[in-house]
Amino acid sequence: MLLSNLEFLPDRTIKSHLGLVQGSSVRSKHVGRDIGASLKSIFGGELKGYTELLHDSREEATERLLEQARSLGANAVINVRYSTSSIAAGAAEIFVYGSAVLLDE
Amino acid sequence: MIGLSAELLIFVALMLLGYGFGSLIERRHRKSIIRRELELNRLPAIASRRPPEDRPYAQQLVSGSVVIGSDYFKTFLSGLINLFGGRVTPFESLIDRARREAILRLKEEARDIGASHVFNVKYETARIATGRVPALEVLAYGTALIPAADISRSTHDTSQA
Amino acid sequence: MVQYENRQPAEDINVTRTHPLKTFAIYALSALILVVLLAVLMQFFGGFIAKRVPFSVETRVTEAVGIELGSRDAPPELVSYLNELGLRLLPYIDMPEGMSVDIHYDKENVFNAFATLGGNLMFYRGLLSVLPHENALAMVMAHEIAHVLHRDPAASLGGGVATALVLAGLTGNAGTGPASGVLSRAGMVTGMQFTRRMEVAADEVAVAAVGGLYGHTEGAADLFLAIAAQRSAGSDETSDDSPGLFERFASTHPLDTDRIDAIKTSAKKYGLLTEGATTPLPDDFQRWLAAN
Repeated sequence: MLLSNLEFLPDRTIKSHLGLVQGSSVRSKHVGRDIGASLKSIFGGELKGYTELLHDSREEATERLLEQARSLGANAVINVRYSTSSIAAGAAEIFVYGSAVLLDE
Repeated sequence: MIGLSAELLIFVALMLLGYGFGSLIERRHRKSIIRRELELNRLPAIASRRPPEDRPYAQQLVSGSVVIGSDYFKTFLSGLINLFGGRVTPFESLIDRARREAILRLKEEARDIGASHVFNVKYETARIATGRVPALEVLAYGTALIPAADISRSTHDTSQA
Repeated sequence: MVQYENRQPAEDINVTRTHPLKTFAIYALSALILVVLLAVLMQFFGGFIAKRVPFSVETRVTEAVGIELGSRDAPPELVSYLNELGLRLLPYIDMPEGMSVDIHYDKENVFNAFATLGGNLMFYRGLLSVLPHENALAMVMAHEIAHVLHRDPAASLGGGVATALVLAGLTGNAGTGPASGVLSRAGMVTGMQFTRRMEVAADEVAVAAVGGLYGHTEGAADLFLAIAAQRSAGSDETSDDSPGLFERFASTHPLDTDRIDAIKTSAKKYGLLTEGATTPLPDDFQRWLAAN
């Protein structure tokens, strides 16, 4: 499945647009990571635990987007966008959406 | 009274630790960012939405992200600045480093899959609510263009011109 | 064909290049001045307003609130003795018309005595049981009556509330980070300077009253001497032989050693005898205290 945040593909033709597809993932960290982060709050620097957590979360959201696209019979999702929002203390939602399309083989 | 003195001592210790380690980490990070940027400038990240059509490219979505937290000194200082308003200088460098690090990670991912450009680069910044720890996540993503090696450049160049 | 390249932009365009310590020095100093100024202003302002409220209003409000002071089964002889001593002291304290004190006793073993709104004084068993003679008790009592005279309980409440309100607004603006805690602490320590001034002023009135009642100030400082001895013996958690400047600055009451010196100075100022025979406490005093 092709995933792109461009609006069109220079050397492929879009046969049909199949609609908006999206993937979302809400996750929070466990207590251990939180303690590590509050120690880090003294020294500063990258909070690797959170970077990993959000990265995993984004992968899950993207996987859900692709699943939606597959269920529509699409072979590509274009104009993909990500958005992140922290819903509550310690929980973040990753949202990804795009246009499911059927490309010429 | 002793309680007050102890609190004062802890505060001063946290400020010193925050300042010492915070500026050390920051200096190192800046150095590493500049070094890696100079190296990865050969893989351009472009904000344009229109990819070049000089030759066929394979496409793949790539991204880079980082969560950077403030240190105790910066957090304290930003609170003081909040009283008077104005430029919150301690967070300027924090955000700058996060943005540049995210792009570097995006480029590193693109380099590893053999891309020549990354197009339509977008940033997404989120405040991470972690209780008392001010932290932000920066995500950079875009479409990596991987040149298809088997097609010769000249034939497409003429069609482009 | 368009050229695509990434050039390296100049550094420090998005980042202000000032030394963080310099920024910190400027802002910390400004914030401290702001907080201290506001706290001083609010203490004055709140205290000023509160002191303008007539004493009769203060008494009525206190009665309306209806908080019961003192133990219900306090020995009546002890309570009447305390009130009688208070009445004996009043002539030597220039109490204006319409102001009076009401003295209560609490059986808690707390080492404390205080004056509160409506001219109410409170004495705890813990404090009374270590008093060596009546002169020391009269000193403490005159000190608390002086607080009533000066309207200190009302002023503290007014000043405290005004300061707390302004500090809450200020530190709320500084966010929930560590800065707000430090700033409100600085404001509170500033407020304590006012409390301490009240204590010094009350001590001075008390010395004059005790000197007037007994003809000398012998034994007036005995309670503070006892406290000082207790501290240097290390029985107290605040067993610091030489209290630092910070302790001196951040405490509500003057240090005991400072108070003893101040008592001597005031005695000299009023031309009072510093030596004389101390008056014993009533024979039944210890029995009253022991009563359950």
